[in-house]
Amino acid sequence: MKRLGGAVPWLVLPLAAVPVFAVLLTFSLIRMVGVETDMRVEAEQNMLWVMHQSEIAARRLTETAMLAELGEAGADEIALRLDILGSRIALLNAGPQRRFVDRHGLGAELDRLSDTLDGIAPLAADFTSDDAAGLRAALGPFPPFFGRAANGAMIAEWDNLGGRLETYRAQLRKTIVSLIGIMGAGGVLAATLVMALRQSRQRNRLLRRARDFSGLLISSSGEGILAVDETGRCTLWNGAMAAMVGQPAEQVVGRKLTEVAGFFDIAPVRHGVAQALRGETAQLMLQPLFRDSHAPPLHVDLRFFPMRNEGRIVGAIVFLHDASDRHAAQQKEAEARDRLEELVAERTRELDDALRREKSAADLYRNFAAMISHQFRTPLAVADSALQRLIRRGPHATPDEVAERAGRARGAIAGLTRLVESTLDAARLEAGQVGARRRTCDLAGILHNVCARQRAASPHARIDIRQEDAGAQAAFCDPAHAEQVLENLLSNAVKYADTGSQVSVHLHRDTDRLLCDIRNAGPQVAGADRARIFERNFRGANSTGTPGTGVGLFIARSLARMQGGDVALLPGDAGATFRLSLPRRDGTTA
Amino acid sequence: MPRNALAGLAMLMLAVAPATAGPDEPVLRITGRIADGAAAFDLDALRALPATTLETSTVVTDGTHRFTGVLMRDFLDRLEAQGDHVTASALNDYAVDIPLADFRDYDVIIAYRMDGAALDRADKGPLWIVYPRDDHAALQDIRYDYRWVWQLSRLDVR
Repeated sequence: MKRLGGAVPWLVLPLAAVPVFAVLLTFSLIRMVGVETDMRVEAEQNMLWVMHQSEIAARRLTETAMLAELGEAGADEIALRLDILGSRIALLNAGPQRRFVDRHGLGAELDRLSDTLDGIAPLAADFTSDDAAGLRAALGPFPPFFGRAANGAMIAEWDNLGGRLETYRAQLRKTIVSLIGIMGAGGVLAATLVMALRQSRQRNRLLRRARDFSGLLISSSGEGILAVDETGRCTLWNGAMAAMVGQPAEQVVGRKLTEVAGFFDIAPVRHGVAQALRGETAQLMLQPLFRDSHAPPLHVDLRFFPMRNEGRIVGAIVFLHDASDRHAAQQKEAEARDRLEELVAERTRELDDALRREKSAADLYRNFAAMISHQFRTPLAVADSALQRLIRRGPHATPDEVAERAGRARGAIAGLTRLVESTLDAARLEAGQVGARRRTCDLAGILHNVCARQRAASPHARIDIRQEDAGAQAAFCDPAHAEQVLENLLSNAVKYADTGSQVSVHLHRDTDRLLCDIRNAGPQVAGADRARIFERNFRGANSTGTPGTGVGLFIARSLARMQGGDVALLPGDAGATFRLSLPRRDGTTA
Repeated sequence: MPRNALAGLAMLMLAVAPATAGPDEPVLRITGRIADGAAAFDLDALRALPATTLETSTVVTDGTHRFTGVLMRDFLDRLEAQGDHVTASALNDYAVDIPLADFRDYDVIIAYRMDGAALDRADKGPLWIVYPRDDHAALQDIRYDYRWVWQLSRLDVR
């Protein structure tokens, strides 16, 4: 309020000075123009001279007439002087001179003198000295007339001059007063101008200081700051921005932002700038900013704001915040979470496995009990009856008979032992207590060993081995497991083969596996059994009457899979073909 | 040498002219720094020279008038006038100095005819120095007005 109160007189004074200045200046101008117009000397103001010359002309004529009387002047002289006087009278009768004469009441007298002159003019044609007296008499009124006229002219001219000088003085006085007023008004205006200049300089200084300060703010900001105009050209680019993007301000300011760096040409950034230019703020979190191809990217947060000037959007300002640390922390957190999840999954898996093992152990005991009731009964009965016979025979028994019966009992007991072992093998396998130690080994060699043993155990069996490629066949597997798998498959094939029929073993390979097909000509596996034949303790319909635990195929498949291979029952219309596949060492599967 | 021939002609005419007043009597005598030291012209000789006509007002008459006469500049060139001013004298012994610059700057004429009629010695004749007053604001000044010598009878080139 104090400022406003102080400002009002400073506003009123110059505002009043301007019209005063204008009015006084106009007034002075009009006055000066008036004076300038009046300051002309009109010809009629020279009337004193005219009258004087006229009087001289009249007197010279009179004088010439007197000389003519004395015979000292001729007619020519008279004519000349008469013409000179005539010319004067003609002059007086013309325009401005005549009006002056009339104004001073001398018109009638001038007319009379003109008439007189007209009357004496013919005298000049043939002038004689006798005419001289008459001429002088006629000229008598001329000099007194011109004397009076000169007198009047003098008074009139002095009056006129005095009046005009007075008018000029009055007008000049007014003009001087006006000029003083103009000086005053001009002084006020000049003072106002000086004040305004000083104020404006001060304001400029403040503005400059404010600008310098905001420039300092921008340049020392840790955040990257850039601004674009409404055409998308960069107008501001601070030091932090230069450091982040790797381009100095001189190379950037004035160019299109999208051409400055690829980062500013990606869709979300372009969209953010466009949004800000439409007047909306926008924000982008953790955008990767690649400065060069070798260094890891920065991760930056971007905020876009419109820049407004008097309500109009003149550009956009963008803040870049280096959030790489936060990004790293988040990344770390995510990794920790992933690890935790993995750990939980692993624990869950382990727990599941433990549970399954528990379940399978329970199953084993149950199945074991069932199996014992089913499988153990026959060998036990065989051993029991052999031993009973021996007891009954007592001393009658021959050593051969004793040996035969005891041998049968031992065979039955050995079968039982095998049964228990294989059952335990399966249980171990299922409990995950069996591991595979894989290495490169010759599958062909293993196969030949297994076949030789099988031939020795079952001399009546006909086993035929066919090998696609001669020589060793390198497989990547645990040789002990591979041997057991082949033994299981081969003994199964021999066991279920028709008597006297041939079991064929075919070793070959495909792109990455070694394949061993073991085929017999026995009864087919029933359709319903094919799906379940690899389950533990499952025995197919055709196994009735054949000793077995139902774990052979289960063990074979489990061991094969443990080594990265498999055992499968191939479809076919005669007999059964089981195929063992194992990774080839020289193949692509490790 | 047409100029000298003309001047010679004028002298010849002067020599044969009678002493009494008449159309053949010299009306203008030129003295001072001209080719032949002195020259005189009668009206016919002046009228025989190339004529110039201008229209202007005067300070001693009302309205404008058409003046015909000899262009002063050409006239003095013919006489090979040297110097910086001319003293013009009238029949009544009125005399005024006129700078030659006037004749260069303005088309000043020695008029012998006004509005088609010959100027009479009883009325500002027979010769009148006329400035083109209406064509130049600078000429509308009393310092030029006194150079309008009428009843011109003599030019003395200085």
